[in-house]
Amino acid sequence: MFDPGRPLSGVRVADLTMIWAGPYAAKILADQGAEVIKIESPRAWDNIRTLIPPPVALGERWWNTNFYLHEYSRNKKSLTLDLGSEAGKQVFAKLLPHCDVVIENYRTDVMDNLGLTYDWLRQQKDDIIVVGMAGFGKTGPEKDAVGYGPIIEMMSGMTSTSGYGDDGVPYKSGISYGDPIAGICAAAAVATALIQRKRTGKGQYIDLAQREVMSALLGEFYMDWSMNQRLPEHMGTGHDWLSPHNVYPCAGDDEWIAICVRTDGEWEGLKRAMGSPEWGERPEFSDQILRWEHRAELDELVGTWTSTKAKTDVFAALHAERIPSSPVWKMLEVIREPHLKARGFYEPLRHPEVGIWSVHGWLWRSDGAGPCILAPAPEFGQHNDEVLGGLLGMSPEERARLEADGIIATQPEGVPLASEMAPTPSML
Amino acid sequence: MSEHTNGEHGSDDPGPYAGVRVLELAEGISGPFAGRWLAALGADVVKVERTTGDPSRAFGPWPDDLPDDETSGLFLYLNGDKRSVTLNLETSDGREILRELAESAEIVIESFEPGYLAERGLGYEELSKDNPAMVMISITPFGQTGPNANLPATELTLYAASGQMWLTGHPARTPLKNGGSQPSYQAGLNAFAAVSSAYYGAVIHEQGSYIDLSMQETYAAMAEAFHNRASQLGIETQRGGNFLNALWGIYEISDGYGGICALPRNYPGFATAVGLPELQDERFSDPGNRLINNDELMAILYGWFSGQTRQGLMEKGIEHRVPFGFVATFEDLANSEHMQERNFFAQRDDERAGQLTYPGRLWLSNEHEWKMGAAPTLGEHNVEIIHGELGYEREDLVRLRELDAI
Repeated sequence: MFDPGRPLSGVRVADLTMIWAGPYAAKILADQGAEVIKIESPRAWDNIRTLIPPPVALGERWWNTNFYLHEYSRNKKSLTLDLGSEAGKQVFAKLLPHCDVVIENYRTDVMDNLGLTYDWLRQQKDDIIVVGMAGFGKTGPEKDAVGYGPIIEMMSGMTSTSGYGDDGVPYKSGISYGDPIAGICAAAAVATALIQRKRTGKGQYIDLAQREVMSALLGEFYMDWSMNQRLPEHMGTGHDWLSPHNVYPCAGDDEWIAICVRTDGEWEGLKRAMGSPEWGERPEFSDQILRWEHRAELDELVGTWTSTKAKTDVFAALHAERIPSSPVWKMLEVIREPHLKARGFYEPLRHPEVGIWSVHGWLWRSDGAGPCILAPAPEFGQHNDEVLGGLLGMSPEERARLEADGIIATQPEGVPLASEMAPTPSML
Repeated sequence: MSEHTNGEHGSDDPGPYAGVRVLELAEGISGPFAGRWLAALGADVVKVERTTGDPSRAFGPWPDDLPDDETSGLFLYLNGDKRSVTLNLETSDGREILRELAESAEIVIESFEPGYLAERGLGYEELSKDNPAMVMISITPFGQTGPNANLPATELTLYAASGQMWLTGHPARTPLKNGGSQPSYQAGLNAFAAVSSAYYGAVIHEQGSYIDLSMQETYAAMAEAFHNRASQLGIETQRGGNFLNALWGIYEISDGYGGICALPRNYPGFATAVGLPELQDERFSDPGNRLINNDELMAILYGWFSGQTRQGLMEKGIEHRVPFGFVATFEDLANSEHMQERNFFAQRDDERAGQLTYPGRLWLSNEHEWKMGAAPTLGEHNVEIIHGELGYEREDLVRLRELDAI
């Protein structure tokens, strides 16, 4: 039976990715129904497992529990395999004929150093689709540069566009924005390659540079540079021809609401929502051009109105008038936000050791799809037996030998149990 | 690496989406962004515009700041290699032509307000009646359902609604929006991933699907570890401006701004690249101590970075494999030897807008190229499509024009 929520069912992915950009791509593939086998070495595991040590990470086998891991690796399977060893590579060679896709976001040179070149991968599976997601790509003078999301954001032009405007300082996005963007694009690349393979029978090699994907989200700035040799100005939360268009303070500590008025009709609506104050009728606010020219004063007046009220009350008044607006939701608020809740965006994730918490479900939803989350992130090596025994038919003795030789494992090498560790500060 | 990644692909395949008809009923950035890459990869993208044109034609930048519907940089970027047909969906003739176009469409991308198409008999059910393998996606600010479904939105309000704004900006100042139109662009990229995977499913199973994409949700899904930190541990996150900690942030350097993003495993390389002996001290070399002594480390690094240059940071980063970078401008990027060697840019002498350089692809493949052609003028393909392909007579076109249907 075709499940419209899982169009990639039947596709198997060997997932060699780590940290964020790659795992985000593989998460999308898994959510969309692909069988994603997350492959980690007993000596070089996905660093995200141990980035947040106890006591923040919960449970005795804490490398399986942190919230960061579960965000990106739900719905996946875990196979441990040391690809740096000849024995591990032999197992990988046996696995590849069962796979459609290999995806990695290592440093540019790592796959070749491991002997896992495109040519070698094709020898194992002729129509394999290989995606490499190095930050700067696999070719060119800067191919050996490395970077996580904020570096990608800086090097793509993105950061140069962001700032308050009064101090000249460029600002990064609050998240490591370059990572998920590259991940989404890599998921599109995989689907595109599968579509092409269906017609041609051929796989392909995809060299996806994270910096280039981020840059493609900035087309108009490239156009302005080539048309007018002009670089962007920092707009803060303002706009170059609309007002009111800003973030206004609300009652409480660090509470804000974003409000934008785009038309005279919305201006009338805003005035009604504010209880029709007298100042709203002043001639200098009577049309869009005048309002923009007097935006500093207008922002002050609107902010005076919002500052004594709860942001949810201001939002309710603006919502009734259909004014573009939104509270600046904090993290503890967005996970309970009524609209997202009504749509079922967050789903419960059940973990045997940690319990239940909510994580985001479908990025987009297909009519007729059930819940997105079928399983939490796999424990380290949880599916070793299923993949090696079930899929590859390796005997218990062979698997025991791999474990004894350290080719597979269920505990990352050198990582102690939580009870054996002193509490350690966490960067998150 | 072997020849598959050197940018000289030499593939003569007509493209992954060759033979695929896409109907783009979308305006602005999100839908057209998704359609643009389908067109670049071989799809026949028919862009249905209102008779006054996609409003993005009225957004700049324009050459020499002269507004012109046919030279908007935003429109030209987002609509290359498509065909444009104008249709007034408020007329029965316009709706009928749309239904006929949909009969041969594998993918439909729409961005009307929720309910608009269904109220006019143009919802997924109607359009796919004789075309069960059709994939259709609706891209809207808040999705098709829920209390905010019909609330209008802007880039700013979506950035706030997704939780992203709370995380962005200096802790002592107002929350900040990142630049450009990221809520729209990221939704467009998600839409591209959504339709490509749904279309693959449709090819395999001969069954299409209808997809509801909310721009708020796709951006909220990128709240990184921060929403999970809230939901698993009940901990709120404060925005940190340009720093998560001393080794994850943006510093002023001698010719601009430079950055470092180092995880614990990057520290040894980082300390070597910086070369200051105190970085080997146990107060900093141990990951836990480093966080305890973060302010002290940051003070040292403020000093060190102030003497660095953009070029110098790149060289050190490459030599020591350390995640250094700098805040690049579009001038830097357009002139980047690296980006040019990788053929990242479309470089085109546009008939109306002159010499243009802009992102021309998303990735490199050894099996396909990316088209980097011109965007259509408004209604450029009305005759070709309505007369030539749908079989309307030329006198019908006159009538349709007089009735304001095209």
